[in-house]
Amino acid sequence: MTVSTYVCRYCRQHSDPAASSCPRCGAPIDVRDMVSRSGWEQQPAIRDMARIQFGQSHLQIEGSQVPVADFALAGDEWIYFSHHVLLWADATARLSNSSLAGGWNRMLAGMPLIMMEARGPGHVALSDNHAGDVIALPLESGQEMWVREHRFLAATGNINYQWEQSTVWFVTGSGNERETHYPLGMYGDRFVAAGSAGLLLLHSPGDTFVRDLGPGETILVQPSALVYRDLNVQTHLHIEYPRAQPFQWRTSFSMRNVWLRLIGPGRVAVQSVFTRPENAEPITGYSYATRQSW
Amino acid sequence: MTEFRFSNSTAQIEGELVPVIECALAQGDAIYFEHHVMLWKDEQTPLAAMNTAGGVKRSLGGMPHVLSIAHGPGRVAFSRDAPGELVVLPLHPGMEVDVREHAFLVANHTIAYSFVRIKGLVNILHGGGGMYVDRFVTEGAPGLLVLHGNGNVFERMLGPGEKILVEPGGFLYKDASVTMNAVQQNIKTGLLRHGIYLAEMTGPGRVGIQSMYVHHHSD
Repeated sequence: MTVSTYVCRYCRQHSDPAASSCPRCGAPIDVRDMVSRSGWEQQPAIRDMARIQFGQSHLQIEGSQVPVADFALAGDEWIYFSHHVLLWADATARLSNSSLAGGWNRMLAGMPLIMMEARGPGHVALSDNHAGDVIALPLESGQEMWVREHRFLAATGNINYQWEQSTVWFVTGSGNERETHYPLGMYGDRFVAAGSAGLLLLHSPGDTFVRDLGPGETILVQPSALVYRDLNVQTHLHIEYPRAQPFQWRTSFSMRNVWLRLIGPGRVAVQSVFTRPENAEPITGYSYATRQSW
Repeated sequence: MTEFRFSNSTAQIEGELVPVIECALAQGDAIYFEHHVMLWKDEQTPLAAMNTAGGVKRSLGGMPHVLSIAHGPGRVAFSRDAPGELVVLPLHPGMEVDVREHAFLVANHTIAYSFVRIKGLVNILHGGGGMYVDRFVTEGAPGLLVLHGNGNVFERMLGPGEKILVEPGGFLYKDASVTMNAVQQNIKTGLLRHGIYLAEMTGPGRVGIQSMYVHHHSD
């Protein structure tokens, strides 16, 4: 048996160059590499009806605006997902639920408290409710990935899911007006393939762009635009105050930008839709941050 | 990944669903924008605040009265938050373009920015464009104006005196030479209902419309 030397440029796994789409992540193979001059690579949308294999099961991506992931689960293989992304399921698929640790904290953060599990044989279809891309990340055994909250769509049963409190935050106001902001979300999701390779599916509103940061290379991104990152990539706040014009009646904090500073090496992905920054109040405290006043 | 030049700088359009424009600014060039449309930037790209006239009036109109300006050299990328298209309008000296509020994404510093209050209460209440339109004028040098239209964007060139009726929410931009008035159509949509209002655009000049908008109900 010959092993292909072709490596998919999106999922970084050995793949089949003769196929029209990567059987591991669904990314089209026969398309031109789309890299901007700054180094961002557009993640091409998975084609309608593209097939992705995992274990004895497979899934098909259906649609292009708000794509659906249609899983055909074989034997006793299973996946888990948040209940609100379930679109339809065969009656033969066995659905159950499992609770997550730290339920109270997750509820406060607006995160799902319960994960649903679906076991084969049978079909289960999932979709999020935003126009955008489905991103398939095949994880090798032991490989880990950090994902921003609410971007998770589904994972195979052999991928362990943990969540951790975000270390990126800032505080505005004081006393009764004190408010803590988590621009990256209150919690981050962490996935690791335990024991064997697995598949992680994400949903990214808008278009998705991927970039490999070199060692020590930095970039500033809107915190809510981050989709996922390698664990090697370090993150912290960067607070930037534009230079004010003479006699400007606005205070400097009202124009400030709260960025997420990413430091390589590693892979990062951003989406083109992000939450608009809220009306600015003076920042009275923050997690580790760099500052720039122009 | 369409690429084009303005002054000594370049820009690339990336993505199809919610496209991003990435600007590589050369030394001496600058672009301005609403600060909340920045998606990412290089750390070394300087930013400054740019005042616009009529701050209080703009606040009342729900519009930003301070814009941000980024100076080269450096890279900055922008996107809005709805599926749509970016409209790239190269402006020659002397051109004036009116743009619906919140559609402006970025413009280069050779284009002067102001805003014009829409005349007539009927036009404000039923015109669908809010109280103000943004006006972009080129003076001595050509410039580049980039808008975000929701859904798909279509352009039509109107001859002198030629008229077209547009759903008010669909209006995106027009040449300043095109006049816009809200006109009532004698189409009853229910008991005790008045007719619907449409925006009547009268040429000469270009009119740009978008296919996704908030529908303005008849009253």
